[in-house]
Amino acid sequence: MAGDAHGNAPATASRSWFRPSLVEGDQDFASVTRRVAGVVERPKPPRAWYIAITISGTLTLVLFSLVAYLIATGVGVWGNNAPAFWGWDIVNFVFWVGIAHAGTLISAILFLLRQHWRTSINRAAEAMTLFAVCCAGLYPAIHVGRIWLAYWLFPVPNQMSMWPNFRSPLLWDVFAVSTYATVSALFWYMGLVPDLATLRDRAVTPLKRFLYGFFALGWRGSSRHWHRFERAYLILAALATPLVLSVHSVVSFDFAVSLVPGWHTTIFPPYFVAGAIFSGFAMVVTIMVPARQLFGLKELVTVRHLENMNKVILATGSLVGLAYLTEFFIAWYGGNAYERFAFLNRALGPYSWAYWLMVFCNVVAPQFFWFKRVRTGLLPMVAVAILVNVGMWLERFVIVVISLTRDYLPTSWGHFTPTLVDVFTFAGTFGLFFTLFLLFCRFLPMVAIAEVKTVLPAAHPHAPQGAAGKEHAHA
Amino acid sequence: MSPLSPNEPRSPDGMSDLSRRRFMQVMGASFALATASGCRWEGEEILPFAQRPTGRVPGTTRRFASALDLGGGTIASLLVTSYDGRPIKIEGNPLHPLDAGAASARAQAAILDLYDPDHSSGLVQRHEGADYPRTWKEFDPWFAARMEAARTRGGAGLAVLAAPSSSRTRAALQKRFAAAFPAARWVEWTPVARTNEVEGARLAYGRPLRTHLRIENARTLVCLDADPIGEHPAALANARAFARRRNPEAETMLRTWAVESTPTLSGAAADHRLALRAEQIQPLIQALEHRVKGILGGSSSGPLSPTGTSPAGGFLAEPRVAQLLESLARELAERRGESLVVAGPRQPGLVHAIVQRLNAVLGNTGRTLVLTEEPDDVPRDPAAALGELVRAMDAGEVTELVVLGGNPVYDAPADLDLRRALRKAPLSIHLGTTRDETARACTWHLPRAHELECFGDARSWDGTLCTIQPLIAPIYERRSEIELVAAMLGAKETARELVRAAVAPDIDDAGWNKVLHDGFVAGSALVPVDAAIMSFDVPAATARALEASVANGRLELVLAPDSKLYDGRGANNAWLQELPDALTQTTWGNAARFSPATARAFGIVDGTLVRLRANGRELVCAAIIVPGNADGSVTLHLGYGRAAAGLVGGLPGEGVESVGFDAYRLRGMNALDGALDLAVELAGGTHALARTTDPHVDDEIGKHGYEERIGELLREATLASWRADPELEAHAPHHPPLESLWEREEPAGARWGMAIDLNSCTGCNACVVACQAENNVPVVGREQVMRGREMHWIRIDRHFLGEEGLERVRFQPITCQHCESAPCEQVCPVAATVHSAEGLNDMIYNRCIGTRYCANNCPFKVRRFNFFNYHKAVERQGAEVQRMIFNPEVTIRARGVMEKCTFCVQRIQAAKIQAKNAGRALKDGEVVPACAQTCPTSAIVFGDLADPASRVSRMRAAPRAYEMLAELNIRPRTSYLARITNPAAEESAHGG
Repeated sequence: MAGDAHGNAPATASRSWFRPSLVEGDQDFASVTRRVAGVVERPKPPRAWYIAITISGTLTLVLFSLVAYLIATGVGVWGNNAPAFWGWDIVNFVFWVGIAHAGTLISAILFLLRQHWRTSINRAAEAMTLFAVCCAGLYPAIHVGRIWLAYWLFPVPNQMSMWPNFRSPLLWDVFAVSTYATVSALFWYMGLVPDLATLRDRAVTPLKRFLYGFFALGWRGSSRHWHRFERAYLILAALATPLVLSVHSVVSFDFAVSLVPGWHTTIFPPYFVAGAIFSGFAMVVTIMVPARQLFGLKELVTVRHLENMNKVILATGSLVGLAYLTEFFIAWYGGNAYERFAFLNRALGPYSWAYWLMVFCNVVAPQFFWFKRVRTGLLPMVAVAILVNVGMWLERFVIVVISLTRDYLPTSWGHFTPTLVDVFTFAGTFGLFFTLFLLFCRFLPMVAIAEVKTVLPAAHPHAPQGAAGKEHAHA
Repeated sequence: MSPLSPNEPRSPDGMSDLSRRRFMQVMGASFALATASGCRWEGEEILPFAQRPTGRVPGTTRRFASALDLGGGTIASLLVTSYDGRPIKIEGNPLHPLDAGAASARAQAAILDLYDPDHSSGLVQRHEGADYPRTWKEFDPWFAARMEAARTRGGAGLAVLAAPSSSRTRAALQKRFAAAFPAARWVEWTPVARTNEVEGARLAYGRPLRTHLRIENARTLVCLDADPIGEHPAALANARAFARRRNPEAETMLRTWAVESTPTLSGAAADHRLALRAEQIQPLIQALEHRVKGILGGSSSGPLSPTGTSPAGGFLAEPRVAQLLESLARELAERRGESLVVAGPRQPGLVHAIVQRLNAVLGNTGRTLVLTEEPDDVPRDPAAALGELVRAMDAGEVTELVVLGGNPVYDAPADLDLRRALRKAPLSIHLGTTRDETARACTWHLPRAHELECFGDARSWDGTLCTIQPLIAPIYERRSEIELVAAMLGAKETARELVRAAVAPDIDDAGWNKVLHDGFVAGSALVPVDAAIMSFDVPAATARALEASVANGRLELVLAPDSKLYDGRGANNAWLQELPDALTQTTWGNAARFSPATARAFGIVDGTLVRLRANGRELVCAAIIVPGNADGSVTLHLGYGRAAAGLVGGLPGEGVESVGFDAYRLRGMNALDGALDLAVELAGGTHALARTTDPHVDDEIGKHGYEERIGELLREATLASWRADPELEAHAPHHPPLESLWEREEPAGARWGMAIDLNSCTGCNACVVACQAENNVPVVGREQVMRGREMHWIRIDRHFLGEEGLERVRFQPITCQHCESAPCEQVCPVAATVHSAEGLNDMIYNRCIGTRYCANNCPFKVRRFNFFNYHKAVERQGAEVQRMIFNPEVTIRARGVMEKCTFCVQRIQAAKIQAKNAGRALKDGEVVPACAQTCPTSAIVFGDLADPASRVSRMRAAPRAYEMLAELNIRPRTSYLARITNPAAEESAHGG
């Protein structure tokens, strides 16, 4: 609470000294619990949920079938070729890793910075992180030629007495992504524990009571529990924070450490992190807008939350735009003919459509968020967020494919054309992502019940019991 | 009547209507027989190697000399490597005076044919549209009786249609045939004959003479639509001599002028190149001869004289052509006795005659070219004899036709309907390696033995008699041509005896063994003869030849044998099909070559389907734009569009699409080399061309980037500028000093390295096939090539440089550069590619998991990935024969792993072991990778960089040596030696 007050002076002093409430409606502790737990406890989810999970489940099955086909046949079922030995596999990997950034950023960094508006979106955003990491982690595992030996990437003791090659950025990747996945999962799960206990206590069937109870780890809500919970949460937040920055930095090393013109640039780590936060927030907006409508959480996930995220999108989008300009400047200023060509080729070569579409989506589209009506309008913000998602996918395509198709020797230049297997595998990862998300919405509390209660006006020590909350909720 | 009267044909599989009881009887007998004589090594006693035969070391390879007739007078003298009794690799015979250890791509690929699953494995009788398998046991007595009957008729009704052969054995048998069957016909047909050249000699000297080039004695070489280093029976020897004379370090350097209708290897190697239609060569050579005579006669200046027989005007008046003619004429006159003018095989006899006369006037004859008698019987009109045979067959005069090799149903002129004529003959027997078009049109097909399975002989271009010896008993029951002709004659001698009697009748056993060992009869080359030029009429050049024309109906069509498939015989050879054409980089198919201007005139882009009309026939085929092609001239290569080549080259009847377009359908009896009435129209649609390393870039930015960097990657200079700047500093990229973070340790021992002389490389592709055979490189097929997934470990990049009309063609072989600071090694997460102590960039296949990061990080893109299991076809049951081709020293790579050039590490190890066993150090030149071994011009040199005296060290230290992309601090172990051109002095320089 205090952090908010320090950062943001109250605009309308006449109303109260503290800023407007983060939740809307006539909310008290009980209503928040009812509202959030009610989603899970409904005997049947809304019809839209069934429709959505049918589509996403089908796509997931498509994904699994195509992965099986890939393993049985070979990487050649994709469009990868020489010189584009990496294609959509790595594009999609980086895309999903980027998406996976928002959750932990919201949970950890905003937590440490005392940005309390994060409370009602952090749970869903963290879940998205995990599911995006699932999709991202799938690609490096299946894109290798001999999938059955992919475990050689890990430093497991073996009869060959072989370590992996610690000089290879791909190995750093393995560590970075797996650490990130582990810490994100822990962080998410730990935050869930009090809410799981709430669900356990409200459960009406023995099975639910058992399952929620099992995962609630015997939470009783004692002061000692709360004390340890909050300490541990803080520690994990502190641990996760550098990971948010490191994981995409390391992913960017895959490119920056190589000598492919267009990859070999030192700007990549910050540029990738900014891009990842950018795409992650865009994905959260894309998903939370329909989800809050669908599950009746409009009063907990308010337009103000969305607006804040849009501000982050605007900021990171501008950072990404700056990075694009810097790349060109350095390509010219550095005087390396191959690098200069690589960037000219992006903008003017055979894939220039991808480049300019990317610039429109990533640099131009977020600028509309300067307008409050766009920032707070549900449809405009979803439109921009989707454009950003498209743009960030294109950015990875531009970096991976355009650079590879025209490197040093003109005689080995080539073209990349995706196959249908590429397209449907990518669609399948969306299926997996949404299936997991829909299951999450159905069976776990989408909003952190316990945390939201702390930002209710009722929880404020200076608030007159009930009255202040009501007043500010209507403000 | 014969026992195999078609009245009682068996069921096709010979088994389907058996009762169970009968089946048991048959099988019982078969099992008994199988134990008694169930192997193909008939007539040989099989004994266990309780005592090792002399000279045989288990697990080591043995090498045997042999030879191969590649058609068109080209004889490859071979040294064939055999492992455990199976031939696995063909190399050139180092003792042979012409080949000297080199072998062409086609010769080397022939080993794949030996194990071709489409290679016929049994006899087939065709009766009323159904095929019946037969055996030699059934065939032999029946055939003998049939021949006996023919003999009593004096051979009337019997005809033999054979491919021409230089074999003395066959010539001897042919003589006996003529005696035994006096009334029989013996007709020879080959689609690509040396008719024009011999006709030229007849005109010039009054008799057929063979011209042997002595490029080593020349200072100026003029190629008129000719490709002496590519398409020539002695191309390997010519290329070797050519490369030696192109050494810029030597005192004098050969200068080459090429005038040609479509780019060839010789044109690419030339210092001055001019694209003219093939029909324009005649006026050009007339004008040149006239001018040379004028200069020699004293008129040292002045324009081309319009008087006399010299044509003038038209294209000859174009400044570019006129200037070239003038400076060329001056140079020829100046370098009398040191120049050499060569005309190409598709130029008419008259042009060849004028060239002979010009060479004589210049005093070249006897110095830069040598004449010998023509040992082959080259017909003046090859199609006429075939036409006469077809007429006789149509008239029912032929009752028995024996087709000895060749594939006339496919490659006969389109106006001869041989297929229909064959239906008129009651009995037609085809001896061939596969069930090709001709086999399917004949009543009998007999499987023909591969050259590595039988005895034979051939005469190489210089006349040296080469022996062909079997390295393996026929894998199936296959017989050679000699054996079949002997069977027709009822001869009792074996092929071995026949060959020995014909090739070396007066030699004792030891001498004969030496002949077989060497692969040829020493000292049997033809003897040079002197001949005087006779006078002959030269008709005036036609007006149309002088004009530039891209008008429809007046275009020129050139039909040439293909550099890979030749006349179509290589169509079922997957190595050849997947070999990129040197000039167009096209695999798996041919396309009509258009110049950029001609293509623009018709709205053609690469792959456009066009309808070609010529000689009253038409063909729809793909077009390809070839910079440096002559405007108004369209070249299409023969050998494609096979209707029954096999599973590789096409078998439309069984659902295998045929590869490429059949140019023979445009060929008439009187128009074998092309036509002058070609009309082109768009046929609608496109045909995707499978091209490999094509630097063509359609967009402006790509062209800009290409031009910006190519001078650094592919360095070249003129002789004059190189002498002024021997280090070629002007071409070197500027970069900061290259430093390392670490102290570099140079381990003791060898430091393997390679040097490639761009001045010597002719782009002949021999190294690509050599590598494929040595390293078990898989073939991936057309679709995979189009996806950029070809697997060749060494590739030859082809560049068209310079503006339109003045294109220079450049080749650059590229393989793994074995960088000392290899970017691929650093990024592999599982350490599957590492450095050896001797500096090899090793690839550990069974460690590789296939992240492909190494290939992304390779600046040369020489790494190849197994996107699929490319060996699936040979892993299945029943492919045991196909698997015999593999080199056991090289791992077969699995799906999902990366592979690349190893500098032939297996050869390095073999040489090291040999040296160690002998207790001595390795000598320079002992380790020869497959590419370097076969290079006809020795452009690729391999060796130890730690030894400053080694050839490779000296080449690397040469001023014109450079390492590609060395500015990336990758420290490549492969050096390139810049190409030095030798154009005429600046004031008269033009044409590139």
